[in-house]
Amino acid sequence: MSDDVQRNEQPDAAHPTGGVPVATMTDPHMQPYARHPARAEAVTGLLLLVGVLGFAAYGAVYFVNGSTQWQAVSLGIGFIAFGIGLTAWGKYLLPQGPFVEERHPLAASQAERDALGAAIVDRGRLVFRRRGFLGGLLGLGGAVMGVVLAFPAIRSLGPLPKKTFDHTHWRRGVRLVDIDGNPVHYTDLETGGVLTVFPEGHVGDAMDQTLLIRPGGPLPGQTQAAPIVTAPGRETWGPQGYLAFSKVCTHAGCPVGLYQKATSQLLCPCHQSLFDVGAGKPAVPVFGPAPRPLPQLPLMVDADGFLAAQSDYHEPVGPGFWERS
Amino acid sequence: MSAATATPATREGATQRRSPTRLSTGLDGTLRWLDERLGLAKGGRTFLDKIFPDHWSFLLGEIALYSFIVLVATGVFLTLYFDPSSKEVVYHGAYAPLRGIRMSAAYASTVDLSFAVRSGLVIRQMHHWAADVFLGAIAVHMCRIFFTGAFRRPRELNWMVGVTLLTLGIVNGFLGYSLPDDLISGTGIRIAYSIILSIPLVGSYLATLTFGGQFPGNGSIIPRMFIAHVLIIPAIIAALIGAHLGLLVRQKHTQFAGKGRTEHNVVGIPAYPNFALKTQGFMFVITGVLWAMGGLAQINPIWQFGPYEAYKISYAVQPDWYMGWLDGALRIMPSWEFVGFGHTIPFEIFLPAVLFPGLTFTLFYAWPFIERRITGDRAEHNLLDRPRDRPRRTAIGAGALAFYFMLFCASSTDVLANFFDVSLNLVLWSFRVLVVVVPVVVALLTYRICKDMAGLSGVGKRKRPVVVRRSATGAYMTEPAAPRPGDGHEEPEPEPVPTFVQLDEEEPEPPGVRRVARRV
Amino acid sequence: MSSAAPSAPARRRLRLATALPGLVVVAAALIGLFASPSAARSDTASQALRMDATAPITYSAPSSPQQIAAGDVLFQQNCASCHGADASGGVGPNLRGLGAATIDFWVSTGRMPLANAAVQAVRKPPRFNRQQTLDIVAYVNSLQPPAPGRVGIPTVDTAGANLAEGQSLFVLNCAACHTITGSGDALANNFSAPTLHKATATQVAEAIRTGPGNMPWFGPNELTDQQVADIVAYVKGPIQHPDNAGGVGLGGIGPVAEGFVGLLVGVGGIMLIAYWQGERA
Repeated sequence: MSDDVQRNEQPDAAHPTGGVPVATMTDPHMQPYARHPARAEAVTGLLLLVGVLGFAAYGAVYFVNGSTQWQAVSLGIGFIAFGIGLTAWGKYLLPQGPFVEERHPLAASQAERDALGAAIVDRGRLVFRRRGFLGGLLGLGGAVMGVVLAFPAIRSLGPLPKKTFDHTHWRRGVRLVDIDGNPVHYTDLETGGVLTVFPEGHVGDAMDQTLLIRPGGPLPGQTQAAPIVTAPGRETWGPQGYLAFSKVCTHAGCPVGLYQKATSQLLCPCHQSLFDVGAGKPAVPVFGPAPRPLPQLPLMVDADGFLAAQSDYHEPVGPGFWERS
Repeated sequence: MSAATATPATREGATQRRSPTRLSTGLDGTLRWLDERLGLAKGGRTFLDKIFPDHWSFLLGEIALYSFIVLVATGVFLTLYFDPSSKEVVYHGAYAPLRGIRMSAAYASTVDLSFAVRSGLVIRQMHHWAADVFLGAIAVHMCRIFFTGAFRRPRELNWMVGVTLLTLGIVNGFLGYSLPDDLISGTGIRIAYSIILSIPLVGSYLATLTFGGQFPGNGSIIPRMFIAHVLIIPAIIAALIGAHLGLLVRQKHTQFAGKGRTEHNVVGIPAYPNFALKTQGFMFVITGVLWAMGGLAQINPIWQFGPYEAYKISYAVQPDWYMGWLDGALRIMPSWEFVGFGHTIPFEIFLPAVLFPGLTFTLFYAWPFIERRITGDRAEHNLLDRPRDRPRRTAIGAGALAFYFMLFCASSTDVLANFFDVSLNLVLWSFRVLVVVVPVVVALLTYRICKDMAGLSGVGKRKRPVVVRRSATGAYMTEPAAPRPGDGHEEPEPEPVPTFVQLDEEEPEPPGVRRVARRV
Repeated sequence: MSSAAPSAPARRRLRLATALPGLVVVAAALIGLFASPSAARSDTASQALRMDATAPITYSAPSSPQQIAAGDVLFQQNCASCHGADASGGVGPNLRGLGAATIDFWVSTGRMPLANAAVQAVRKPPRFNRQQTLDIVAYVNSLQPPAPGRVGIPTVDTAGANLAEGQSLFVLNCAACHTITGSGDALANNFSAPTLHKATATQVAEAIRTGPGNMPWFGPNELTDQQVADIVAYVKGPIQHPDNAGGVGLGGIGPVAEGFVGLLVGVGGIMLIAYWQGERA
């Protein structure tokens, strides 16, 4: 049967259906896909039944506060079985087709497009006929509105950076404290020890965080340890075998918490930037994507034997940014 | 057409029977009510007859669609329990090892959702698995569109809508798994801050504006991520999915070449009842698989990670899989930073995390036009290519896939080094080489394979088995086996969808029932 | 369906049909109530209050003459070839004065004896039983008094441990190398931080107090004995017996494994259903 339409829609003897396509179940297109429809029906019914039971089972599991795993199994089986049953129904028990429909060109004729274009242009001309200055004001209004609407959308979000990236809270004489706020005495760390420290009064600060390591401790029988010089000009920065570096990785800002004591290196866990530390080695990146050494905090031992900073870091800590020079 | 109903003429001996073709009063009344207000009778019947080609690879987009529906449904549930606040609280909830620890309200509410809300953990994990599957389905769907050339005229617009959906999906996924403010995802947010910071000229402004100051900001990042994740981006995604499906319905689906299939028709199954039933079943299956995964396979066990603190870090920290290509790019990038003229451009971040994805998505958007320029093919295409018939496009696509896959693997350098017991340094250097070499090799191999396949007939088609019989006298004979449905061997010629179906042979057509042909 | 009112039997059938779903659910709930497994999910390891009574760690060193003599024999047979007959070093480092904890850690985890000194020593089945291990420890410890800070074998009492404190300390000091779930990971230059899932309480405390290999050394002025006990309790508890309430733990390495499962099982599994559902031509 083709799709030819007879405009005669009244049924008569010659055209009992009014010339409109009517399919009967003998048509091969109307046959179900399954070669054994009764079997397919039974399987589909079984799947749907399992689905129903699964749904109900979930209700029971929920009611008795069953474990997450029982919840998953019950409702999961319910949904999956039910879904496969429905799909099997649609695939095996319904007319297999295949059916066809015609595509129709999307585009209209060139004449239609011309008419549309003419409508836009001509009516536009009506609007702006000898009123060019109005059009200019329209454009100006749109531009100014666009600019000022950006103010609450963007500027109100937060503060401007100003100089906040250039300094931390470390100052001369500020003691190093651990996460509990206890100051660090120079006898506290063993040789090869590591500790996360903050400036006193700013425990937990994201940009102040500093990694204190002790690559060199006192020799057996001694109480004092030799200082460590990482670079020329930093002779006093590493007293008693201690070194302090910014814990904020110069690559993407992750805390550089991994101290490889035996190889005297700091490894950043995020992208595996590796920094050499020790005598003559001011946390220079030797591997991985970090571009700059970790800034070193100049240390000193105050009168009571506690470690303190000599000053702030000599450069901005953390990853690079445009204004960093 | 008037709505007058002719009275059934009496025939001798005819018993008063219900006509199977008379509509029930209920349905008739409803349809009239809707038709008078929406005018949907004509369009409705056209839609019910709409033909959907039924190849299995056309269902990949449906996986994404139904995963999205699961995401919205489970997401609504989660919003009823999640507290999008960075305010510090002390935990006193159901999970003992965290009691007494200070954490953000966001993290605490997520832990409590996982342990103190019935079915909360299943739904939370189902939501996370659905996100992974959503983006995985988009990826395979996009590959199908690409390798079969379905993005060609008139479907370039739909391709671009699809690329936008991919981008938004990736962003929303990142925002979503960062909401619980646990140690691992918080590290990702820290890296995101540094990425924003790395943008020349405006980076520091954008960073402090978005976060409310120097990292970690004034705490507003969590509520901002929340509203972007549950409202702004899903609304755009939903609208774009509507456009995506609308374009599909308007332009009709593409199809592979075959019996009775031309550039000017569509062959397949009608929307109602075949497609409706199958797609509904598929939706239940997807929901079931995601629900089962949600309770059987643990994902993002944030109670084991602890809350995020800016000075704490864990090793083996990877982002979710769809961000892996960016993390891999960050790891293998050499440390090229430009310092000069009083300014710094940190290319070691800016290039892999900003410029590279920008270039990637620009290329994705532009591909239909690039291919059109290269091949000079400006015709409309409704029949799909077999990938082997377009060896250059297939090779380029395979090479691109290999490239992104190498980057994705590069995100696990430390895990791979540990698992295979090789040096971390060696693994990193290997990836720097592999990322260049492997795509080229894959592209060349693919081109070769396509060329070889195109030369052979019947490649990829299921072979018809041969049945060997033996006669009583001992002679062997062979005959082809009975055809199986779906082989395409014994398919009838496609027919238009019949407007009416006469289910029962014995029932003659009652006179006077109005039948109306569809206005073409 | 006709427009006539349904007959009485049809009415009954209608009512049953609408009531059926509800009946099924109620029946299942009743069955579940009596037949389904455990009720509420059991709570994770409950938290004891901090008790100040006993010392959290006691240090001891084996020192009886029989142990020293037996240890001498074992040492000469198994260790002297690398560490020298008097343990002062050779191919292997000087072991004198390192304290009982150091020797016990390396031997009881099976790291020593070590076949190939060029690669990092990793945990393997120990060659010696506990008695023999203590003998070797006794012998080496007898050669020279332990240097300051070199402790004896720790016996950890976790009864008074504070899990929350342990969690906090673990994340701050240990997770950067051993990962937040204690799975271990690769370090630079061919080293690795091992998994913590097989360590005994004593071994955890020994590692913290002696800093083996690339691991930093945490002395008593940095971490008190109570803090070490807290960390040990956290490792023996949530690290080694994680609460995998969500299902299969997938190795505890996070999104790498999850991505594999999501793509292969999730997307792949559903694609198989799609392959069954659609045409194949």
